[in-house]
Amino acid sequence: MTAADTVASGNDGWARNRRRAWHIIQRWYSIPLLLTVWQLAVSAGILQSRLLPSPLAIGAVFLAQLSAGVLTYHAGVTFSRALAGFTLAMVSGLPFALAMARSAVWRNLFEPVFFVGYPVPKIALFPIFTYVFGFGSPSMVAFTALECLYPIVVTAYFAFGGVRSQLIWTAQNFGAGRATVLRRVVLPAALPGIFTGLRVALPLSIIIVVLIEMLGGSSGLGYYINIWSTRFAFANVYAGILMVGICGFVLDQILLLVRRLVVYWQV
Amino acid sequence: MKRGSAQILHWLVPMAALAAWEITARFGILPPYLSAPSLVLLALWETIRDGELVQALAPSVFRVALGFAIGTVTGIIGGLGAGLVPGLRNFFDPLVSLLYSVPKVAFLPVFLLLFGIGDVAKIAIIAFSGFFPVFVASRHAVASIDPHLVWIAKNMGAPPRAVFFRVIIPAAAPELFAGVRIGLAHAFVLLFAAELIGGSSGIGTLINAGEEWGRFDLMLAGVVCFALLGFGSDRILLLIRRRVLKGHLIGTQEQVLP
Repeated sequence: MTAADTVASGNDGWARNRRRAWHIIQRWYSIPLLLTVWQLAVSAGILQSRLLPSPLAIGAVFLAQLSAGVLTYHAGVTFSRALAGFTLAMVSGLPFALAMARSAVWRNLFEPVFFVGYPVPKIALFPIFTYVFGFGSPSMVAFTALECLYPIVVTAYFAFGGVRSQLIWTAQNFGAGRATVLRRVVLPAALPGIFTGLRVALPLSIIIVVLIEMLGGSSGLGYYINIWSTRFAFANVYAGILMVGICGFVLDQILLLVRRLVVYWQV
Repeated sequence: MKRGSAQILHWLVPMAALAAWEITARFGILPPYLSAPSLVLLALWETIRDGELVQALAPSVFRVALGFAIGTVTGIIGGLGAGLVPGLRNFFDPLVSLLYSVPKVAFLPVFLLLFGIGDVAKIAIIAFSGFFPVFVASRHAVASIDPHLVWIAKNMGAPPRAVFFRVIIPAAAPELFAGVRIGLAHAFVLLFAAELIGGSSGIGTLINAGEEWGRFDLMLAGVVCFALLGFGSDRILLLIRRRVLKGHLIGTQEQVLP
């Protein structure tokens, strides 16, 4: 045992705390470092651009807009649109994927629609959507649902199809009916795969909603960012971007939480 | 189910939809902005004949290809670096996790004002958005490589270069391609948005022009073109992947994935 080890074991708690603090600093130093450099560069006048206000200025605007309720309002609009589109896609897509996985007719009918359509950038259909549904919330929700539908259906289809037949046979052998097999065997076995697709679709929903709001909305964070950028108020633009990021982060965390509750047997 | 009837079913839904669209459009039941598919095809042919299509396609393809290439290459280099070097990992991880959840479209107005409405802004935003999925995928791929593989190679006396190119890259490749594919899909979303918001040429502009002139067949022809462009790029990527990952995909779900 070396001298250093003896000292370390002598005041063990203190050393461990210091190691943990050092570890946290090592893991997270880059964000405060960059923010400080950025702030100093702006304060020292090296970075003089209306396009890049200092982090403190952005933070001040963010807090002011947040407490004034402006950002929370727009965030609420964007959040609910994204969630509505996503939920619509999930509710309509999962039964569809199940039907495709369980029935040959459905599979043959709709496989090409989903497999060929999967890599097509659905955003191209956006002009048609604006004509059919207008620019309001229904249009955005419908379009978001369409975008989310593809990853959800394709991954869920593989998840349902990948359920081992032995599991189903065993359940049937024990006298389980169709509904029981579905609820107790197929669904739980497919859930981890389904959540993979949901996790792909969820950020997509925010992207699409923000984009459409930018192109022609009258509320929501995309609109907020767009309108302040035309007024060259970039502290507000960055505050809006920050809020979008928070929305995306919160949605993802909610999904992860739900997954942990639903797929509790998989860590 | 017999193969023949399966083939019929495959074509049934798209064909029925097209036929219904054509008939209802012909009888004037559909609103004018949904031109009949035959008219859209005619408009497409018209744009091909007088070179308008090539003129619109060239800048779009250039932007998406260059932006996607920059984003992918920097993403792979950054991701592999972060996966292999703890110092880089500690620096990049917090930044990437901070920016990853922000839809990159939100930065579009900033990029347009920063770089002007020319090609640079569009290429930059496509590269910016492509970087993140590729970075995350390649970083995760490297981190989750079975360490035994690396140990065995080292034990056999493989130099670091060989370990990198013969063990780490091949082992990381499948996941890497998944990230690249997501990046490609996002690239087209951003291309469309950038051309529609700050466009002066390209497919997005063709769509816009068709809309403004009330030439809805032209607008839809642009939409079809854009869709085909995205679809074609994805197919090319899958072809490349199939060549690169020869042997990796046997027996996996990926083998049958569209």
